[in-house]
Amino acid sequence: MWPFAVVFIFVFIIPICYAIYISFFKKQMIGGTKFVALENYQRLLVDQQFWSSVGRVAIFTIFQVPVMLFLAAAMALALDSMKLHGTKFFRISTFLPYAVPAVVSTLIWGFVYGAKYGLVGSFNSFFGTHIDVLSPDVLLAAIANINTWEFTGYNMLIFYSSLSTIPHSLYEAASIDGASEWQIVKSIKLPELKGSLAITVIFSIIGSFQLFNEPSILQNMVPGNAITTYYTPNMYAYNLSFSGNQSNYAAALAIVMAIITMAIAYIVQLKSMKEQMK
Amino acid sequence: MTSTGRLTASELKAQERAAKAAEKARQKRIAADEKAERKRAAKNGFSNPANPTRSIGLTVVCAIFAIYCLFPFAYLMINATKTQADFTSTFGMGFGKTFALWDNIVTVFTYQDGIFGRWFINTILYVVVGAGGATLLAIMGGYALAKFRFPGRNLCFAIIIGAISVPGIALAVPQFLLFAKLNLTNTPWSMIIPSLVSTFGLYLMWIFSDQAVPDELLEAARVDGAGEFRTFFQISLPLLAPGIVTTALFAIVATWNNYFLPLIMLKDSNWYPLTIGLNQWKDQASTAGGQAIQNLVITGSLITIIPLVISFLCLQKYWQSGLAAGAVKE
Amino acid sequence: MRNTKKVIAATAAVATLVGLAACGNGSGDSNANKGDADKAELVFWGWDSGNSMKDIIAKFEKANPGITVKFNNTGTAEKTSTALSNAIAAGNGAPDVVMLEDPTVTQFAVTDGLVDLSEFGADKLADDFAAGPWNKLQYNSKPYALPIDSGPEMFFYNKAVFDKAGVDGESIKTWDDYYEAAKKIRATGSYITNLAGTSNDYQPFTAQIWQAGAQPWKVDGEKITINMTKDEGMQRYIKFVQKLIDEDLVDTKTPNWSDDWNRELNDGTIASLTIGAWMPINLMTGAPDQAGNWRVAQLPQWEEGQEVSAEDGGSALAVVKLSKNQAAAYKFVEYMTHGDGAQVMADTGTFPSLKKILASDSFTDPTTEANKKTNDYFGGQNVNEVLSEAAQRPTEKFQYLPYNPFAQSSYGDEVSKAYTGDITLEQALENYGKKLAEQGEQQGYTVTVK
Repeated sequence: MWPFAVVFIFVFIIPICYAIYISFFKKQMIGGTKFVALENYQRLLVDQQFWSSVGRVAIFTIFQVPVMLFLAAAMALALDSMKLHGTKFFRISTFLPYAVPAVVSTLIWGFVYGAKYGLVGSFNSFFGTHIDVLSPDVLLAAIANINTWEFTGYNMLIFYSSLSTIPHSLYEAASIDGASEWQIVKSIKLPELKGSLAITVIFSIIGSFQLFNEPSILQNMVPGNAITTYYTPNMYAYNLSFSGNQSNYAAALAIVMAIITMAIAYIVQLKSMKEQMK
Repeated sequence: MTSTGRLTASELKAQERAAKAAEKARQKRIAADEKAERKRAAKNGFSNPANPTRSIGLTVVCAIFAIYCLFPFAYLMINATKTQADFTSTFGMGFGKTFALWDNIVTVFTYQDGIFGRWFINTILYVVVGAGGATLLAIMGGYALAKFRFPGRNLCFAIIIGAISVPGIALAVPQFLLFAKLNLTNTPWSMIIPSLVSTFGLYLMWIFSDQAVPDELLEAARVDGAGEFRTFFQISLPLLAPGIVTTALFAIVATWNNYFLPLIMLKDSNWYPLTIGLNQWKDQASTAGGQAIQNLVITGSLITIIPLVISFLCLQKYWQSGLAAGAVKE
Repeated sequence: MRNTKKVIAATAAVATLVGLAACGNGSGDSNANKGDADKAELVFWGWDSGNSMKDIIAKFEKANPGITVKFNNTGTAEKTSTALSNAIAAGNGAPDVVMLEDPTVTQFAVTDGLVDLSEFGADKLADDFAAGPWNKLQYNSKPYALPIDSGPEMFFYNKAVFDKAGVDGESIKTWDDYYEAAKKIRATGSYITNLAGTSNDYQPFTAQIWQAGAQPWKVDGEKITINMTKDEGMQRYIKFVQKLIDEDLVDTKTPNWSDDWNRELNDGTIASLTIGAWMPINLMTGAPDQAGNWRVAQLPQWEEGQEVSAEDGGSALAVVKLSKNQAAAYKFVEYMTHGDGAQVMADTGTFPSLKKILASDSFTDPTTEANKKTNDYFGGQNVNEVLSEAAQRPTEKFQYLPYNPFAQSSYGDEVSKAYTGDITLEQALENYGKKLAEQGEQQGYTVTVK
């Protein structure tokens, strides 16, 4: 345990303490750094850009996480059923997208989405439609699709490896008792998935609340600047810190985000996860 | 570490022998049962989880999903065969006028004095040391959390969840300051040390240790007088294999694709990993007066993915469920 | 027991960090950091669009045997300035010499990150550089960087498309001519240019209002005045661009530097660009199918008969205050921008800012290999001759905000709304002005909005 703890403290805890510390200060180009107590937090409470970005990732989470986890679980069960022709092929094809760096996958999907030169464009000119998946109304769904594509395989693998720890004798016993395939799924496999489901849900929620790579790379490809510098909380923090010279305010933002994320993760899943780990 | 030390060596041996004999008999029985069961199932038309009939319908459904997963790769492969001129002028899913895949590969490895090769080696270094270490730490940590009772275990849980809820971007600056203070920026350590922490791996190992290693088995081993380390290596480790492989794979991919951390920490292009290097090439097209080399970016990305595919193929045999089942029977 | 140790370790480390934060700003006496001018190991951060740094550095090291230069390619201008501000904050790991985009120089000068180069006599070089780039690098009338390249705004157009629309590119002298041409080109299905109001369009935007004589912001010590919409030059600009948007004469859907942008330049959908003089190489690799069709001309003027230029882009070299080898670092900066290195840079495709090179015969010599390649792409036109003329034209005084990176990123947030048609350009710019004022106040400036 302790080697992990040492590195963890060094990489996470100390920087977090430092972030909390600087969130009580304010650094200005004129006047330097001064202690401002809770001013940054007060400003955050009424910062509309911040709350709109939080709302956006909340919506994103509500729709994207269940879809992705459902697909991942379904795929894991299908692979584990051994009823597929070419299980190995499907296993790697589902996982492969996760191996692609976010920079590259966003580039690829940017091409697919392109209404002029991309696949959507060809589709439009072929069928005479006017679909634009990058218009501001559906942009979030387009980003959700990229994330689903990237991370389904990742979650599938967690489910799948958890399924493969089920001792075979259990299945044998079940089938001797005359249980059908569905009954096995329901009474053996699904309960087994519960544990990994709890952890994937929490990590997926955290992941989508920290949405950053995909929108920031898409930013330059999307017409009309539909992706603002405060599109997600993480992008907002990044821009405040790196182009706005307001890293103290960004630190306060990060702390508040962490609290919000934790609260939501707790409400959704923490209880069952704790039970799992009793 | 505990050691009972109550049994003498000869007594222990005798016990072991007896246990082995009993185990042999049990295995024979199981094999016979299985055989009979298989026969019966085949006769009755019941499905048998050990040897199910393959379903075409399910395969088709999965194939549709596989197409969704794979078609972007077709884009990558097709475009890796294009010259820069063809890349901007021809349709994305169609081939270019010239087939330039080999030229592209050669140029990727020779451009800017072959710096790509250097990036490649760096990445492998970061992955072997960083991801390898991360897996090791996660196994130890997760196993300890699952199998040993100590005060503050729940607190650990809350702290870790809390820590990873903090947006990584906000931590980048403090992390950078800390590493700069220790003179570690611009060295491989600034990449490796943060990579050593895989919180997700820790949780995965926690859950796996909890589920896959029955406490009774550990108790039995402890009663038999096996030390904690021996118990871990001989009993727990084989049971944890699928989980370990999963954790390792995640750590490998995470390190391989890590982008934000090296972006902040490294400014010496001799220490860049592939992600940063490729992005630098991509940026060149959007720099005033810079030359567009998207063909190299695409080909380089393709080359970057290949080692990950290979490591996946090498590791995948560990997910066969038989492994876990076999271990339990011991 | 174990926990106690952890707590102690964590506390100690936090304490170190706090201490670090407290003393991060002590830059000390700069004279102590001048170092030996002839003996040093320099670290140089920058980007290398012409792949020429290695050769130039080798030449410099040969001429100055005591000095070695380690070049770190930091990618883009944005990444370089981010890295520099991180390193300055850490007080450790900063380079000796840094390449910056001109507009960001003021920001580092204000926050005391760069060395005032007049300490080394750089102020005496003023007349050797073109006015546009030189003026941008002054803070409190002192040079904080020397220009390594420049980007006088030019008018690039696709002659094939212009011919099809019956427009003679050479005859476009004023923005009114430009507007008439835009209508004819639109009739053929193409657009005269693209304007999307994203943050990538910020630099062309500043160039255009600069040329219009606008002063949307004024910085005077700790006071900033923002006058985004009532300024005369701004009014002129707003009316003109609003007309282009309303009549669908510009492509508002394609941001600069996107993949689509290259493709539209390549297939003739975008028929012209007003952009910096460094553009030829980007066109040649980004729009290869149009080889032979593109031409370059002087920027259209707001009043007939004027010859006003403006700057778009351009970068400079500065000496970092944390450097212990400032004298040697300046030697290198001088070599690269003013000395022999400048010629090599120019030879490998960088657009020079040194008057001597701009006026030299070799710069406009159509028989050199590099010039020949460019001129072929431009249908045999002597490109550098046109560019050189623009670089020597006078420019109006223009000043960037000390928080230019913010001005650039929030430009996209606010102004793009005018290009999607949600609000008028005047409203968008007014909102933008408010954002800039807010940021100024956050940074401790006294801001007045007109």
